[in-house]
Amino acid sequence: MSAHDTTGSTLVNHWQRGVPVYLEPVVTPTLLFFAALAGLGLVLAMVRLFSPLGPFSGMNDAYAWGVWKTFNVMTLTALGSGPLAVGMAAWVFNRQKLHVVMRTALISGFLFYATGLVALGFDVGRPWNFWNILLPWRWNAESAMLEIAVCMPLYCAVFLAFENVPMVLERFYYTGSDATKAFLVRWAPRLRRLYPFVITGAYVLPLMHQSSLGGLLLLAGNKIHPLWQTPFLPLLYLLAAGLCGLGFVTFLLLMACLRYSRALDLDVLGELGNLLSWACFLFLAVQFGDLIRRGQLRTAFALDKMSLLFLFETALILVPAVALRSRTVRVTPRSLLNMAALACLGGLFYRFVPTTIAYAPARNAVYFPALPELLMTVGYIALGIVGFALAVKYFAVLPGDIADWNYMFKLVRPSRQAPGSEGETPWPASLSTR
Amino acid sequence: MSSTMSRRRALLKIVGAGGAITGGAVTSTAAEEHPAHPVAPPDAVSMFYDNTICTGCKACMVACSEANGLPPDTSLGEGLWHTPLDLDSKTKNIIKLYQEPGGEGFAYVKRQCMHCLDPACVTGCPFGALKKNQWGAVTWESSLCIGCRYCEVACPFDVPKFQWDKWNPKIVKCEFCFDQRLKQNQQPACTAVCPTGAVIFGKRSDLLAQAKERITASPGKYFENRVYGEHEAGGTQVLYLSSVAFEKIGLPKLGSTSVGHYATKVTSVIYKWLSAPIVAAVLLGSIIKRNWNRHEAERPERERQTGLRDQL
Repeated sequence: MSAHDTTGSTLVNHWQRGVPVYLEPVVTPTLLFFAALAGLGLVLAMVRLFSPLGPFSGMNDAYAWGVWKTFNVMTLTALGSGPLAVGMAAWVFNRQKLHVVMRTALISGFLFYATGLVALGFDVGRPWNFWNILLPWRWNAESAMLEIAVCMPLYCAVFLAFENVPMVLERFYYTGSDATKAFLVRWAPRLRRLYPFVITGAYVLPLMHQSSLGGLLLLAGNKIHPLWQTPFLPLLYLLAAGLCGLGFVTFLLLMACLRYSRALDLDVLGELGNLLSWACFLFLAVQFGDLIRRGQLRTAFALDKMSLLFLFETALILVPAVALRSRTVRVTPRSLLNMAALACLGGLFYRFVPTTIAYAPARNAVYFPALPELLMTVGYIALGIVGFALAVKYFAVLPGDIADWNYMFKLVRPSRQAPGSEGETPWPASLSTR
Repeated sequence: MSSTMSRRRALLKIVGAGGAITGGAVTSTAAEEHPAHPVAPPDAVSMFYDNTICTGCKACMVACSEANGLPPDTSLGEGLWHTPLDLDSKTKNIIKLYQEPGGEGFAYVKRQCMHCLDPACVTGCPFGALKKNQWGAVTWESSLCIGCRYCEVACPFDVPKFQWDKWNPKIVKCEFCFDQRLKQNQQPACTAVCPTGAVIFGKRSDLLAQAKERITASPGKYFENRVYGEHEAGGTQVLYLSSVAFEKIGLPKLGSTSVGHYATKVTSVIYKWLSAPIVAAVLLGSIIKRNWNRHEAERPERERQTGLRDQL
């Protein structure tokens, strides 16, 4: 379908389908390092089960929300909005060439959401009362917190999880027994029939809760600096999720392809860069339109501490927005990587600052995360990294071309006759056990 | 034919019932609208504190702790004295002293929950653990609280406190002695015990009128000749008169619009009957279905060409 090579560059390789990373050891020192961090975080989380929040975190009555909420949930789920942003581009706006990177978006998004929700679970002080979620008549429907409490777990556990199911079933199909195969072949059409309805839900729900994350901050009123406190917070949080989602999928694809020596498809990546640029412009247009509407433009250029922070954050989004309008920048992997990273950073700043630096409670108080609190935050992120590193090897996540896929299966056959090289080539290895 | 009709009818019934349930859940609270400037109900009770009368005896603090069964906060008092620095998880009511820098002037202030007419904490509380109870008292129900601490983020007066040192933490704030005394037809412990009448209890309308009378009786005595709490954050059920600036004694400068109104004016429209999400689902769903159908139509040919199964 996309078999036209216009640039003739050696870097161009037409991504056609997800291909597992093969001929790479699953367990590496790097993986063990992140697994150790994740393990430490989870052990601390277990300790937290039996410990009050006080000594465990730096939170206090003035800064009642610490990094678990403000960073792991409110900030990092923006990076996890790839399934929303790329998915809507592919399925709603019909950017066909983006289908091939969906799995990268889906698995990373799922990991961001899942670890964020785990963080939330250990953050709330009275989790045993969460069962009230099952009794809708107890819901305070006007609370943004309720909307998030219902919508986010539902999205992650049902819709996003369902979107990730095909790549898991695909592995079972290629590694399973004949009975498994027959079972999957019989059930595949039924899952496919559900698919369009599920992905509709998978876009509507994050549109709701990603904006509600900004909506949360409305009630904080004038505790939040006027550069950030605006009735447009929900929309801006959503747009930031969009740009972070696009930016992070671009960033992650480039990093993963670099790490696993996968050839790049600059046609696809360029398209992501193009959309990212427009997403950045859209965000800035709404942000500055709102500043003008509220008459706060002067505050933005007052050049005091908050204004400089705001301008820095804006610059992080403006630079990639402008730079990525150039096709040369979009199809140069190094510059695309840099610009995607800047956009992500800008989006993260926008989502993090109103909850922390620009948040000034009534009393003089300071908050800095305590060591166990920080280690748990790092642990959740490390858990996500471990999950992704395993996923790309066990499932057909990273995009490659069909020749790549076929070559992998060619490798399978010799290993079937000579088992013993297990662990080196995940799919062939598991195929050989059959 | 008849079987399909009945199936359709059954489906409609199910959808209708589901709609009624979700609609009920949404509108039961959406019906309590958030006007920008809420009007106090006629039975709203109030506390009125005049810091020109207060002698700082702190009898109200002791009475409060006693009535609410709170332990003394002895972290500063050599383990002997109840000496909280501010409202905290052991202190629902506090008398603080403000001293003019370098000057002679000083003023007391009594801090406790303001019992807002439209409380931000109640608007944000996900399962309604905090609610505007009878007579307007803002009360907390432990079985509904998940400990998310959104109330602390939302409260413009920095009132709700969380028991950071407890494994089974509670939200601690003045509840107008609702269970302890109001229900027994008694006034709150602090107003009951106040020896000088610096803080008094009554109907909000009566106390507001009384406060305004005091201002008229001695113009210039009170800061800005106005009652703090009449309009702040949409109005509160605790009213203040002060000889010094309200900000100096820790009462924040706030607009007259209720915070709940500001926070819900857009979302209450968008989420009314879940209208915007439903519209979005129908709109996105129809576009997705069209694109999906095309994808599925092209799939056999694609699979035949590559010899590989389509990936989702």
